[in-house]
Amino acid sequence: MTAPTLTKDAAASAAPVADADVGRTAQPAATRHLSSLVRPGVRRVGRVIWASGAIVLFLLLWELGPTYLASASTRVFLPPLHEVLRALGSLIAKGQLQNHLAASVTRSASGFGIAVVAAVALGLLVAWYRSLDRFLNPLLEVFRNTAALALLPVFTLLLGIGETSKISIVAYAAFFPVLLNTIAGVRTVDPLLIRAARSLGLSNFRLFQKVILPSAVPTIFTGIRMAGTSSILVLIAAEMVGAKAGLGYLIVNAQSSFLIPDMYAGILTVSLLGLLVNYLLVAVERRFSRWRTAVGSQSN
Amino acid sequence: MTRGTGPTPKISLRNVGKQFTVRPSKDQPEGTTLTALEGITLDVAAGEFITLVGPSGSGKTTLLDLLAGLTGPDTGQVLVDGKEVTGPGRDRAVVFQQYALFPWRTAAANVAFGLEGPGSDGRRLGRKERADKARHYLELVGLSGFEDRYPHELSGGMKQRVAIARSLAYEPDVLLMDEPFAALDAQTREQLQEELLRIWRSTGKTIIFITHGIDEAVYLGQRVAVLSSRPGRLKQIVDIDLGERSGDGDIRSDAVFVEHRHKVWSLLHDEVRKAQEAGHAKIRPDGSAPDEAPQLSQGRAA
Ligand SMILES: Nc1ncnc2c1ncn2[C@@H]1O[C@H](COP(=O)(O)OP(=O)(O)OP(=O)(O)O)[C@@H](O)[C@H]1O
Ligand SMILES: [Mg+2]
Repeated sequence: MTAPTLTKDAAASAAPVADADVGRTAQPAATRHLSSLVRPGVRRVGRVIWASGAIVLFLLLWELGPTYLASASTRVFLPPLHEVLRALGSLIAKGQLQNHLAASVTRSASGFGIAVVAAVALGLLVAWYRSLDRFLNPLLEVFRNTAALALLPVFTLLLGIGETSKISIVAYAAFFPVLLNTIAGVRTVDPLLIRAARSLGLSNFRLFQKVILPSAVPTIFTGIRMAGTSSILVLIAAEMVGAKAGLGYLIVNAQSSFLIPDMYAGILTVSLLGLLVNYLLVAVERRFSRWRTAVGSQSN
Repeated sequence: MTRGTGPTPKISLRNVGKQFTVRPSKDQPEGTTLTALEGITLDVAAGEFITLVGPSGSGKTTLLDLLAGLTGPDTGQVLVDGKEVTGPGRDRAVVFQQYALFPWRTAAANVAFGLEGPGSDGRRLGRKERADKARHYLELVGLSGFEDRYPHELSGGMKQRVAIARSLAYEPDVLLMDEPFAALDAQTREQLQEELLRIWRSTGKTIIFITHGIDEAVYLGQRVAVLSSRPGRLKQIVDIDLGERSGDGDIRSDAVFVEHRHKVWSLLHDEVRKAQEAGHAKIRPDGSAPDEAPQLSQGRAA
């Protein structure tokens, strides 16, 4: 789900260049005049409008659809956008949204943080010690293929409905993408680089620090990005089942109290949070794999 | 041969042999052993430039790994400065065919790679000193101004220059080079050969240079060691005396050069034919250690 974002972004950043070239070289005489009027800046604006077109249409449909297309009873369950935004505004004004958001962010950040640290550490060990890998791999496979949400009742039974159980389930869900990518990252280090480093007399520890880790970092960050997405997803679900605060709780609670606009406000916040987290993680990932991505996408 | 009888030779191979266990495959259910090198005895004097040719699979890379200390011999001894080699050391540096640069490091940072640990005198260089050294060695290989480029921003020839600079930077006595110019185009190769000779003359390193190119071997080496096809034995050592090379004429068309070239060619030709008759295809074209089973079988299929 998140992978396309990367490629799309890369394509979007590469496309204007390509277009500008076409405009300069291979345009028929009739349109050349026009293209000199349509400056690159204007083009870019046009592109932005086009890119946000689907979103705008969707929001318009949301605003107008319930009023003009839906029956009265449906309108109650699907209020137009402005009502949702008003509800959002009043939730913010009362400070409720901030509280729920803070609760959710704290939980997912803690769980996510614990998972990243633990999974990277274990991944490095497993990748380095083959025997540990052979020992642990079957068990890890079983856990990895057990959907985190299926274990939610277990977490709740054992750890209650407090913070511990939520943080644990987030950590559980975020753990495996990071673990698998860390192992893969270390495994796929170019053996030639290891030979080169060895021939320069590096100790095992230095080899790890200076060759294996840096070359695995981009792969590890891909795992971290995937973990970020799934940690929010799982947290919201967990909060829906049993919690006294958090965005998931806000949504479910609003629904059962029949505060339908509040419910949509909660949902909207969840998607915005997800977008933001993904954006940040993609940026971090790109920052750390500059030397690698530069090979494929930017050579023109 | 008078070489090596005087002072302790820089490098001394005494009856060196190396075997590999071939892992069980479909056609050979129980693993077999493969003798890659057998009874290699060779002395290399300090400051000598010796080239090593041999058919594919004759154990050249294996020999280089032994010298580098990346593996140990099964029989015999590998001595550097009269002391047995027990592992990689700062007195020897390897230049690989495929450059082996660290892609996440800039050219300068690649060159500085070997300088980051404690030096041979146990002293650590400061950041500034490392940068200065890196710049100096990049300049030596003709890459001033490319300090901040990443490997993917460099051409093949430039990458190999960086790799050479990296090996020189921590000031080894011995340079071990495994087909370093094989992946380059003819012009770049000649240019780098020229520069390598210049560097050799100005630094006095001992260089062991593996190549497939007979021209290259004769042009660079003071001696050319010819290995036999598998198992690799030292077939013959050809002394090369091209006289004064300072002139800028085309030494490669010189009668003496042609004669040496022909001699090495005929020695090698026999071996290549024998290797082919024995069905020894080039198993690993990249010359890297075939630790992985898939790599091995891929090479066989090719
Ligand atoms: N780690 C290994 N395990 C098993 N066999 C090996 C190993 N390394 C090398 N060999 C075998 O030893 C022989 C010599 O290999 P080596 O790489 O030294 O040849 P080479 O002379 O460098 O060949 P090329 O010119 O193709 O690089 C080959 O038959 C190869 O298959
Ligand atoms: Mg080789």
